[in-house]
Amino acid sequence: MCEFSGRLVAWLDGELQEPEATNVAWHLARCAECRETVQSFQAVSSAFLSCYEQALPRPVRRPRWIFVAGGTAAAAVLAALLLWPRPLEPLPIYSVRTPQVPAVAFLRPTSGRSRTVSRIKQIRNTWTSGPPVVEVELPADMLFPPGAVPEGFSFIADVRTEP
Amino acid sequence: MSSDSVPWALPLTRFQAEDREATSLFCELRKPLLRYLVCLGLSADEAQDVVQDAFLGLHRHLSSGRSQENMRSWLFRVAHNQARNRQKSYDRRFKAPLDAGAERALDEATPERVLLEKEKFERLANAIRELTDIERECLLLRASGLRYREIAEVLDTPTSTVADTVERAVRKLAEKCHV
Repeated sequence: MCEFSGRLVAWLDGELQEPEATNVAWHLARCAECRETVQSFQAVSSAFLSCYEQALPRPVRRPRWIFVAGGTAAAAVLAALLLWPRPLEPLPIYSVRTPQVPAVAFLRPTSGRSRTVSRIKQIRNTWTSGPPVVEVELPADMLFPPGAVPEGFSFIADVRTEP
Repeated sequence: MSSDSVPWALPLTRFQAEDREATSLFCELRKPLLRYLVCLGLSADEAQDVVQDAFLGLHRHLSSGRSQENMRSWLFRVAHNQARNRQKSYDRRFKAPLDAGAERALDEATPERVLLEKEKFERLANAIRELTDIERECLLLRASGLRYREIAEVLDTPTSTVADTVERAVRKLAEKCHV
């Protein structure tokens, strides 16, 4: 066995001080047996390193297609929510007041009975009873110029559903 | 956790300017420490715990104004000692990680090469299992990139002993693997 054989690994690892490192290098240039030994040390060291570097378990990674499919599905759901035609909402029915007056009333403050009033009453009487669904009171002042309609007049419109 | 991300429990935000070295050490040495601990026989979770404890210890060490020299070997020494304390089963030491590593190293080779290499890796794994504790630990620390002087600090032994031990261990492996 060579006198340098105990320092070959340290020489490989760059751990030898000068002039010892140079001496080993000179010896290796001349000694085939030590060169062979150094080669085998290198081989086994790199095999050890290879196993060592692979020893850590790799983190589990999901395939990329899962992310692509997930993103596409999310985008589709979002687009459907945004673009889907919404159903028309029923308009609310506002009950303004409970009826305190006849359904269609055009009452004059005077006591005389005009032909128009009697005709309207006649018409009203032909209607079947039932509470109005919507009743809207329109002040006469909003529809006519001041003074055109005597005070106290108002128009009441209501909507009924016929049976 | 992504493999390179900083664990939430590590209070890096509280590090002072002088502790920036700790952050760079964490980025540099987290994986080598984990690998070393797994090869010593710890599970991946245990290794994560030990590494986290080691870096918290490093933070305390630096905060208390103690020496900032040889932090690399300091971290390996702390992790090594904790691993020794935690280790319950000697038999599992280095067996599974090496075998798994050999399998992974052969993943992308041709079938014939896989067969030859597998045989070689099996011989190597058997040879490693027959090494003594200190021989195996020296080789693992050497594979982690530590110098003999640093290995000596981790294992609390003279540098000349490390040199002799590494020489002896490599020679044993080379003889048993016929490479």
